[in-house]
Amino acid sequence: MLKRTIVVLLVLSFIGAGLSLALASGGKGNSRKGKYLYRKNCRVCHVQNGKAKELSPISKTQAQWKTTFAAQDKLPCAAEWAKLKEKDITDIYAYLWGHAKDSPSPAKCK
Amino acid sequence: MAQTSSRGISRRGFLKLAGAAGAAAAVGGGVTGPRPAQAAGGIKPGFTSKYSVCDMCFNKCSLIARVQDGVIQKLDPNPKFLKSRGMLCAKGNAGVEQVYGADRLKYPLLRVGERGEGKFKRISWDQALDLMAANFKKIGEQYTRCGFMFMAGSDMQSTFVHRFAEAYGSYNTLSHESMCLIAGTRAFLDTFGEVPIPDMLYTKYVVMAGANRFESLVTPDSMDLMTAMKNGAKLVVLDPRYTKTAAKADEWFAIKPRTDMAFMLAIAHVLITENLYDKKFVAAKTYGIEQLTKHVKPYTPQWAAEQCDIPAEEIQRIARELAAAAPAAMVYPGRRSSNYTDSTQIRRSYAIVNALLGNWDRPGGLTAARVVGLGGGIPFEAPFYEDNPEDRIDAGKATLMFPEEGSFKLARDAVLEGKPYPVKGFFLYHTNPMQTAANRSKTVAMLNSMEFVVTMDIHMSDTAYMADLVLPSQTYLERQDPCSAQQGSSACACVVMRDPVVAPLYESKPVFWVMQQVAGRLGMGEYFDFTIEQFRDKQLAGLTGGMDALKRDGVYYNPSKLYGVYEGKIYKTKSHKIELFNSRYAEMGLEPMPVYTPPKPGGFARMRMVVGRNAVITQSSSQNNALLAKFQPTNHLWIHPERAQELDIKDGDWVWVKSKAGKQRIKAKVTYETRPDTVYMATGFGVLSPGLANIYGKGACIAQVLTDEFDSITGNMAMHETWVRVGKEAA
Repeated sequence: MLKRTIVVLLVLSFIGAGLSLALASGGKGNSRKGKYLYRKNCRVCHVQNGKAKELSPISKTQAQWKTTFAAQDKLPCAAEWAKLKEKDITDIYAYLWGHAKDSPSPAKCK
Repeated sequence: MAQTSSRGISRRGFLKLAGAAGAAAAVGGGVTGPRPAQAAGGIKPGFTSKYSVCDMCFNKCSLIARVQDGVIQKLDPNPKFLKSRGMLCAKGNAGVEQVYGADRLKYPLLRVGERGEGKFKRISWDQALDLMAANFKKIGEQYTRCGFMFMAGSDMQSTFVHRFAEAYGSYNTLSHESMCLIAGTRAFLDTFGEVPIPDMLYTKYVVMAGANRFESLVTPDSMDLMTAMKNGAKLVVLDPRYTKTAAKADEWFAIKPRTDMAFMLAIAHVLITENLYDKKFVAAKTYGIEQLTKHVKPYTPQWAAEQCDIPAEEIQRIARELAAAAPAAMVYPGRRSSNYTDSTQIRRSYAIVNALLGNWDRPGGLTAARVVGLGGGIPFEAPFYEDNPEDRIDAGKATLMFPEEGSFKLARDAVLEGKPYPVKGFFLYHTNPMQTAANRSKTVAMLNSMEFVVTMDIHMSDTAYMADLVLPSQTYLERQDPCSAQQGSSACACVVMRDPVVAPLYESKPVFWVMQQVAGRLGMGEYFDFTIEQFRDKQLAGLTGGMDALKRDGVYYNPSKLYGVYEGKIYKTKSHKIELFNSRYAEMGLEPMPVYTPPKPGGFARMRMVVGRNAVITQSSSQNNALLAKFQPTNHLWIHPERAQELDIKDGDWVWVKSKAGKQRIKAKVTYETRPDTVYMATGFGVLSPGLANIYGKGACIAQVLTDEFDSITGNMAMHETWVRVGKEAA
């Protein structure tokens, strides 16, 4: 159990380091792949009448997405995040941040 | 039942001919189906009434079809549909002819001659669908899936074309919007955080620049403006042409084209220097008044007068009158804004004046989108194809292009250049860029560069005429469609839907079915594994009683909040305020506030060509309608008498009109209804397709003459940057 926790923490810290770079670069991931990954990994629960609150890029401002991603280890679904590759998280961030409600091109559909 | 048609034959005769599989007749039309009985003495008792939604333009007005013996006899407005204020316009009334017109496409057609030669043969739907699937596979494998481009018009089934494109894996989807309104959308989004809906019914003062709302109808704006004027509202129109809107206005100024920004900056100058702007509103809700104050200082009415050909004292007076009527006053945001290379900044100047008037989210001003509550339908998870290119073919060529809309102009250039990657397939539905996109020669060249072009339409449009495969679409009155949400300020936040009012004619099919069938052949069936009813149920899931209201009234209303929507909320801009100074633009190296550049002189005998609609035609989709063609059988070149005299041109003379894009031959209309430096002609004539028998051989094609500059921020086609020479044709 302890070993697993350490692995998770190591993965999280690794993701955190990568992510801080991604956040600093203002969402330089692949937004189109991010959309795919978001639908595949996140929308499973974050959907109308789903297990978690319904979400779309326009649910938050760019600043709020930045805060959310910076504190991902504190989210109820942190364990799910830990399963994702660093690049995948960067891509999902590019999609959500890039189409946030105060972005130049807010997502059209929820 | 009587069967009458000027060019038609009886139903019995039609059935005989339809069975004969005559390919030559397919392009030329000439064969008609059943006809309304009005010519034989009107509608008999016993007709049934069915709700539908008009498709003669983008407005989607609810209507009632009167049906007898399976034939539509008449279309009436739906009095319960508040967005149109219970109105169905001339085009809407003529919708019957869309169904029964002799030039309907009747079955799938495959090109057998050279592209544009007009030789097609009839094939079966199975053959057509197999061919499509084979080409989607071949082109996807050879050029990546982004090598297939998609373009769909403003249609209630276009969502399925986009769904197919995404599931197939192409980012290259286009719409008509980048030839219409994208610059205005960008400007208001980047000022207010969303695109406003004007509250015309309760306004007291409107400055309308570059819009023609009494001819180019927008519901409810057109009707509400008329009512507001009856109630005492003042309308000031700025337009180089004397449009019907100008004729009905309290004041019309024949503004010099491309100088609207100068007028607006001078209005801002007066509002600020005379302390007439809404200081409380501006202090609480906007960002950048200090920068704007400094910015507009040199833009005096005296300076603007030189630019616009509008006297300084008039500009000053209009500014004062706007302020006196505020917040129930507005600069009308407009719709089509594809005019100039800096159209986004021009429309930003409109938005900024509105912000100074403090009219946002208030009665008689600009209102936010209301809650409708219609869901997005059945969600799907499109696959991701790792071998695809990074982005759209037109990506990065305009500073703030909308990634889901793209730019037809820039995409076309990229296809022609073959860079950054080849695009060799094109699927078009319910849209006709051969007539609506500036520089037709380039559109022809692009289509000629493709390996496989498919067009789906109700008639042989010029774009269909250039295609390899032509698919017959059902008309809107034969189709079952998803629900559609509509915004109408004080009129409504509502939902409409379509069910067939008559059985589909010929072998026509809906595009949903086509996408479903091709997806199935490509192993993508899971993305279309539903019916329209199931899709609508999902859309309506959050609206209690939604379907009952739609069946009972033809429309569902959400009584959502209209004014004060933004109380306690942030604005969806970078600063979270209304941006007089756009901070994102500043970061990106764009002008954070609109900077005026005077139009370049056109030279001797050169005039600017402008585009515009009237109340009986819609771009190019309605000209061939036999009922509407009686009102506008052809087009003319509007030219001012002063210039006509210089060129020895008399009313009705044949003239040539020439730009760097192309040349057309057309009859002149010598009229004071345009400025001496401006010419105009209606869109949608001078067609190449003989399949449009009512207009073939008539008038000239504006798309052949318009040059294809673009708005640098959005990639929106900038059609009014067209300079032309006009000359009398030799006898």
